[in-house]
Amino acid sequence: MLPDKKKRIGVFFCHCGKNIAGGLNIEALIESSKQIQEVSYVVDNKFSCSEDGQVDIQKAIQEQKLDRIVVVACSPSLHLMTFQRCGEKAGIEPQFVDLIDIRKWTMHGSPQKIAPEKALEKSKKLIELAVKRMRLKRLIPMAEIKTEQSALVIGGGVAGLEAGLDLADKGYKVHIVERLPTIGGKMALLYKVFPTNDCAPCILAPKTAYANIHPNITLLTNSEVKSMGGYIGSFHVKIVQNPRYIEADKCTGCGECVEKCPVKVKDDVFSAGMGQRKAVYIPYDQAIPKKAVIDAQNCLYFRKGVCRLCEKQCPTNAINFGQKPKTVEIKVGAIIVATGFDEYNPTEKSEYGYGRYNNVITQFQLARLLDIDGPTKGQLLRPSDGKEPKRIVMIQCVGSRDVSTNPYCSNICCMYALKHAQIIKEMVLPEAEIYICFIDMRTVGKGFEEYYSRTREIGINFIRARPSEVIQDTETKDLSLKVEDPEIGRLLKLEAGLVVLSCATIPSSGTEQLSKTLGIKLDKDGFFKEMHPKLRPVETNVRGIYICGSDQGPKDIPNAIVQAKAAASCADTELRKNKIKLPQFIVNASKLKKGGR
Amino acid sequence: MEKEENNGEYIELAELDPDFKSEVMKHEDAKGLNACFACGTCTAGCPIHEIFPEYDPRKLAKMVKLGMREEVLTSPYIWYCTTCHNCEQHCPQNVKFFNILNVLKNMAAKKGYAPNAWVEQTKQIIKTGLVFTTDEALFKKRRSFSLPDLKLDGSKVKKIIKLTGIDKIKAQIKG
Repeated sequence: MLPDKKKRIGVFFCHCGKNIAGGLNIEALIESSKQIQEVSYVVDNKFSCSEDGQVDIQKAIQEQKLDRIVVVACSPSLHLMTFQRCGEKAGIEPQFVDLIDIRKWTMHGSPQKIAPEKALEKSKKLIELAVKRMRLKRLIPMAEIKTEQSALVIGGGVAGLEAGLDLADKGYKVHIVERLPTIGGKMALLYKVFPTNDCAPCILAPKTAYANIHPNITLLTNSEVKSMGGYIGSFHVKIVQNPRYIEADKCTGCGECVEKCPVKVKDDVFSAGMGQRKAVYIPYDQAIPKKAVIDAQNCLYFRKGVCRLCEKQCPTNAINFGQKPKTVEIKVGAIIVATGFDEYNPTEKSEYGYGRYNNVITQFQLARLLDIDGPTKGQLLRPSDGKEPKRIVMIQCVGSRDVSTNPYCSNICCMYALKHAQIIKEMVLPEAEIYICFIDMRTVGKGFEEYYSRTREIGINFIRARPSEVIQDTETKDLSLKVEDPEIGRLLKLEAGLVVLSCATIPSSGTEQLSKTLGIKLDKDGFFKEMHPKLRPVETNVRGIYICGSDQGPKDIPNAIVQAKAAASCADTELRKNKIKLPQFIVNASKLKKGGR
Repeated sequence: MEKEENNGEYIELAELDPDFKSEVMKHEDAKGLNACFACGTCTAGCPIHEIFPEYDPRKLAKMVKLGMREEVLTSPYIWYCTTCHNCEQHCPQNVKFFNILNVLKNMAAKKGYAPNAWVEQTKQIIKTGLVFTTDEALFKKRRSFSLPDLKLDGSKVKKIIKLTGIDKIKAQIKG
C-alpha cells in the first residue's frame, strides 16, 4: 500500500566542521541525492545542530514546502531528538524526520573509520535507503499510555533505599524487593565507612528505618523478581517471595527460637564466613524487618523431620513449616535496578593461598572481624589459632587490574584498605605493624587524599610493589611474602600473621539472569550498561528502567547515593507526566516467519 | 645552549635509542610490553633476583621502554634467567617478560654480546645434539653405583636443528 500524494523530501547535509567534510566529498553527495525520487531540496550546512543550522532547516521547510526531511549527520541516539524538535517547530511530524549517521566513517578517532571512497559509497546507499523509508512511511499515531504512579526498586542496599525513599517522598508507591531476609545490603556489614570513619549501620539506619515505616513503601524481603513484561508506565512484574517459614506478622523478633535452635552453621552472608549462626536466625540486630528466618537447607526438621524446638519455644506461634513460595504480581510505572556487587572470590588467584591458608582473608571478611557487633565482637583474631597477629600485610588489586580475571579498577579497594589499616592501628591493635602493598594508590574523592595522608601519619607502611606469592609456614601458620621495594631497589621479605587481600568488586550473583529478565544490556565486565557513559549514566536501553549503585560499575557510597538520586529523578520525570506518548509499529503478519520473528 | 657535562650522574634521554623499544616489540612475543605498569610482581617472584639483585625484570622492562639499547644488550644479567616462567605466570597485565627476554638475548647474540659459556654450549648442541657432554669417567662412576648406562642419542635433536634451520643462526652468533 503506497501513499498516494507525491512527497516533498528535503535532505540536509551537516559538515560537522571537519569531522564529516574532512573525509567526504559532500558536493558529490549533494549531486547524487538530488537524483533520488521525490527529493525536492538538498542543501549543506557547517553545523546542522547549531542555532544557525536549525534556523536554516526550518526556513527551508517553510519556503520549499517540505513535508519530510532526512538529516545526514551523526548518531540518532545523540541528535535525532534535536532534529525532530527542530522539524516540529516548522510543522513537520517528528515521525517524518530522520537522522542518519555518516560521521562514524569519517571522524578522526572513530573506531568505525573507513577509507573516503568507501565512506562515499556507503553514504550514498544509506541516504538512498533513508529517503525511500521516509517516502513510504505512513503516519502512525502515537499510543498514549497512562503511567502507573508507582515504581519497583530491585535491591534493598543503600542505593536502592535512597532511590526508593526519594520516589516515595515524591508521592509514588514504591515496592522494594530484596533477595536477602533483611534490607541494608553490603553497607550494613562494613562496620565503618570512609572518609569519616562513621559507623556504617548507624548512618544507614535512618534510611532503613524510614523505609520500614514509610506509608508509600512496601518491603518485599526474601524475594526475587521472576519475570517482567510491559513497557514504561505499565510494567507487569512477577515477584517470588521465598518462605521464611515464620509468619512475619506474628514474629516479634524476640530471638527465643534462635536461642533454642541446636544447629550451628557457618554464616557465609552476614559474617562473610568468619562466624556462625543458627539454622533459624535473625541476620543482625539492626535487621529490617527484624524477623527470624529458617534456613531450610540446614534445619533439622527439613533435613530429617525431627526437632521442631523453635516451634515449641515461640511465644507467638509464628513458626510455620508449611509455608510455600508466594508469587506477588505488581504493576509499576518505572523500575530502578540497584542490585549491587559481590566481593571477588580470590581462590583462583592461587598464588596468594586464599582457601588453602586460613590466615589469608579478604577485606570484607576483615570488616566483619573488626565490627564490634560482628562475629568476634571486634577482636582481630586470626582464623588459624585465634591469636592476635603482630604484623598484617594487605595486598591491593587482587582480581582487579588483572587481565586474567577482571581488567578494570575496582575503585573502592584503596580506600577500604586505608580504612581498615586506620581502624586496626587506632582502635584494635595499636601495636600491630601494617604494610600495604599497592600498585597505584587511588584516593580520588572529596576528603580522600587527606584520609591517605592521615593513614601515613599514623605509621602505616606503604610499599609500591606487588608480591608474587604468599607462602605459609606449616607449623606456625605464619605467612611470608617477598616484594621488591622500588624505593630502595631491594627485595623485602615480610613475615605476617595475617594477610588481607583487597579483592575486586564484581557484579552481584544473578546480575546476568536479571539482565535477561528485564531485557537490559550488560557491559563487557558484566555490570549493567548505561545508555551513555557520560551523558545518560543511569538510563538503560529500556525506557523506564534505570540503574544505580554498584551494579553499574564499582563505586563508593557517595557516588552510589548520587546515582540513586539521579535514577529516582529520571523515573519521576517520566511518571509525573501521567500520560506519555510512545511510538507504535505496524507488523506485517504475512511476512512473519514461524515463531513470530 | 652549552652542553652540560655528564659523567654518569644522569641518563641523557637524547642519547638513548627510542627505536629500541619498537624493535623489540616487533616480535610477536614481546608485543605486550607497553601494558606493563611496573607493579613488580615479576621481580618479587623471581628466584634469580633473590640471588643476584642486579637481575631485575621490572628494571629491565623499563630500560627497554626508555631505549637503553647498549646497557640492556651488553648486560650480562639478561643471560641469568632460569626460564622458570614465574614472572609471566603472575603478571596481572599478561606481559610475557620471559619472551621479551628471549628477544633481547637473540638481539644481543647477533651483536656478539652472548657470554662465552653460552656460545660454547650452543655450538656443542648444534654439533652433538646434547646439552651436556659425557666421558668415560662419568660412565665408570655410574657403573660403580650400579646405575645403568645412559643411552645418549643426539641425532634426533640434530635433525630438528637442521630442519628448523637453527644451525644457520650459528653464523650470526659472534663470540
